[in-house]
Parts: sequence; C-alpha cells; structure tokens
Amino acid sequence: MFGYTFQWKQALSKLPQMLDGALVTMEIALLSMAIGIALAVLLTLFRLSGNRVLNGFAVTWVEVARNTPALFQIYMAHFGVASFGIHFSPFTSLLIGITFNNAGYLAENFRGALKAIPETQTRAGRSLGMTPLEAFGYIVMPQMLRIAFLPMTNQMVWAILMTSLGVTVGLNIDLYGVTQDLNALTFRTFELFAIAGVIFYLITKIIQLGARLVAARLFRY
Amino acid sequence: MKLGLTLGGIAAAVVLATAAQADKLDDIIASGTLRCAVTLDFPPMGMRDASNNPIGFDVDYCNDLAAALGVTAEIVDTPFPERIPALMSGRVDVGVASTSDTLERAKTVGFSIPYYAFENAVVANDKVEMADWEGMKGKTVGATAGTYEAIWLEGQVKAWGEGEFRPYQTQADVFLALSQGQLDATVSTVEVAEANVKSGNFPGIKIVDKAPMVPDYVALFTMRNEYGLINYLDLFVNQQVRTGRYAELYKKWVGDGEPANLSVPGVDR
Repeated sequence: MFGYTFQWKQALSKLPQMLDGALVTMEIALLSMAIGIALAVLLTLFRLSGNRVLNGFAVTWVEVARNTPALFQIYMAHFGVASFGIHFSPFTSLLIGITFNNAGYLAENFRGALKAIPETQTRAGRSLGMTPLEAFGYIVMPQMLRIAFLPMTNQMVWAILMTSLGVTVGLNIDLYGVTQDLNALTFRTFELFAIAGVIFYLITKIIQLGARLVAARLFRY
Repeated sequence: MKLGLTLGGIAAAVVLATAAQADKLDDIIASGTLRCAVTLDFPPMGMRDASNNPIGFDVDYCNDLAAALGVTAEIVDTPFPERIPALMSGRVDVGVASTSDTLERAKTVGFSIPYYAFENAVVANDKVEMADWEGMKGKTVGATAGTYEAIWLEGQVKAWGEGEFRPYQTQADVFLALSQGQLDATVSTVEVAEANVKSGNFPGIKIVDKAPMVPDYVALFTMRNEYGLINYLDLFVNQQVRTGRYAELYKKWVGDGEPANLSVPGVDR
C-alpha cells in the first residue's frame, strides 16, 4: 500500500483512553436526547397551542435547527454567544448545539406522528372532562412517542455522530477529541481513526439493536 | 520479427529497471512539480494575502526548494491535523508546515534537519492578572490542536493538576477565544503572538512572558523510507543557512533580529 506501515500494536495501546472518550461521547448523546425530547414535546405543544407567538417561536426553532449545519449551531453555541459575553465550556457548548439540533428534528418527527393520530381522540378525551393538556398528556402523547420511537433512535445515532464536531469548540475528552489528540502526538492517523470508526460503528449498532428490543417489548399489540 | 522482439524486450527491461530504481526524488524531478503541504493558518509562516494567494516563510521555503530541484512548486493548503493523511495518500511530496520533529512522530514520518526554531510566548487576556508563565496555573488555557506548544501546555496542565486545557482546531479560533475571554491564556510562537497582537484583529490580548520550553525545532518531512529525498532536504536546509537565504527570509517574514541557531551545541545530527 501507500508506503505506510500500519502499527496496530502501538495504536491499540491507546484503546483504554479512546474507550473513556467513547463514554463521554455516549454521555453527551444521551443527555442531549433526554433534554431534546423534553424540548421537542414543548415545541409540539407550542405549535398546537394556537398562540401565534408560541407557534412562531417553535417554527423558527425547527427551521433553524433543520436548515443550518450542525457545525454552525455548535460553533454559535460557543463563539457566537461569547461575543455577547456568555461563556460556555466546550462540553456545554457541544451539548447545547446537539440538543438544539435534536429538539428541532424531533419536533418535526412528533408533528408527523401527530398526523397519524385521529383528532377525534382528543375530542373524545375532552368530552370525558379532560382539560386540553390532560387529553394531550394521557391520550395523544403516549401514542405520539410510540409512533416516533424509531425516528427517535435515528436521531440518537445522529447525536452520537455529531459529538465528533466537539473538536471545533475545543473539546478533547470525547471519542473524536481523544483520537485527534493522540493523532497529534503520534501521527498514527490511519490506525487511530480506523479504531475510532469501529467504536462509533459499534456504539450506533448497539443503540439500534437495543432500541429494537425495547420497541418489541414496549409496543406489543 | 525476432529483432523486434529483442528490441521490445530491451525496451521493457529498461523501463522496468528505471521504474524499480526511481525513488521519490526522481519522481518529483520527472513530474516537474513539487507539491508541498503548507499550513496557511499559521502566520507569518503560512497565510494568505489580500487576493487569497498563499504567502509566508514556509511558502517561500517551498518555492526555494522547488527552484533548487528545477521544478515548479505547488502549495497544498494543509491544516495541522491533516499533514500525515495528505502525505500518505500521495497528495503532497514534502511537508513544509512548521512541523516539530518529535521522536514520537519520527516513528511515522521522516524528518530533515531543523529548518526553523520557534520560541514560545504566553499570551493572556487583558482582564486576567498574570505576572509570568506560572500565572497560567489553575486557569483556562488553550492552544492550536496538534502543535508542539499545545502538547507542552496540555502536559503542564496535567502536571499542575488544576485548570483546564482546550485545544482549538485553528490558530484563529484560539485567539478568538482568548480575545472573547473564553480562554485566560494561550501559548503560541513568539512570531504568531506578535503578529496577532500587532494586527489588532484580536483586541484585549497581551504578551505576558516567554514560555520555558525547549526551543521548538521544526523540520521538513516526507515518507520515512525516502532516504534519497531526506538526504536532499538536509543539504537544502544547510545551503539555505549557508547562503544567507535563511536570514533573508527571517527578515522578510519575521522582522529584524537574529534568526534562531539551528544547530544544537554539543551534539551532531
């Protein structure tokens, strides 16, 4: 091959450091999903509320989150807000950026899921004396989350992969950041990134399989 | 017919023989082009002028090398982390990218003798009280990922056991973060520090102290097994100093003063 000898032993000796990085990557992705789902539900409610201001806020969020690069969103969460004197650590900036992105995409998933739930269900709930919020919380939302479950795992995978953008805001403890650091030290570029690629692949595969198992248990008809 | 076959055989043998013996140095001379990896985000070594043309010490150095080889130079803009992939995938022939010649890296690529040496300075945000380099202890500091000073600073932060280290991807991002106050201090080459303080692009920063590091010797690099080329690079660096071109380029890009001594007293290379 191209005049380069692969030194797997040297690269594999860094595996423990990379696996520590993988844990941080998963931590960021999980946090960003948990907060992202909560925010997406809120955005969905804003859209259903019929209030023009709330609706406008939700639509703007979704539009920006879905139509600008994630890199831009993360960069803005670090360097952008800093020009207004607000400083977030690299970890927080990345978390905010990915969460913002997640919430935007998930809100759109939820909107699609809502379309599959007949309006008559809300009205039936209301006729039983539920408030609009109760009808949403007890009847619509559980079905919405169920329909949107697989798209949500998709977003989770996307969140894992987006953590690699943390290096642009100075993060060096996630999987990609650790790999980048080790690369600077040793110049073992190909081995290190191949290992990182495999770890990323395994993480996302485990998430997908796990989600399938959970879905099979939770959503038996 | 027979003659044709024989001639054909001889021709094939000649082609094969040259192909087998041609090394990188031959390839460069034959192709007529020398492709240099230069990092154009590292003033005054590599940068772009107002009309977006690559300029700087490293750019001139590559042009000189190409002139010596009798070929045309092609500058390939290569960010620091991409220097090795660019070399290994055959996109460039030589790295002229202010690359520190660490032993760890020399296991992967082949370095020439040093062609430049940096002193490093501690640069801090105006609002931070800092008397000398040890004032960085416990502070949030950062540097350009993958550089010698970043490796040193990260090691320092680990040794202190307090404070935070952040590597940013580009020199510009480091100074932006410093100017915004996201970083309290950074370590960069004296050249870069002075250029950035002078440019006024990053208000609110000041040079505090020299960083107590071993001078950052940087070398040209190519494939580790290309001895012919490495040999040529060594002689080329030697000639640049001998002919006074090194001092000339220093004056042009860095300013008045003495260019760093490139030989280490008391030892040969």
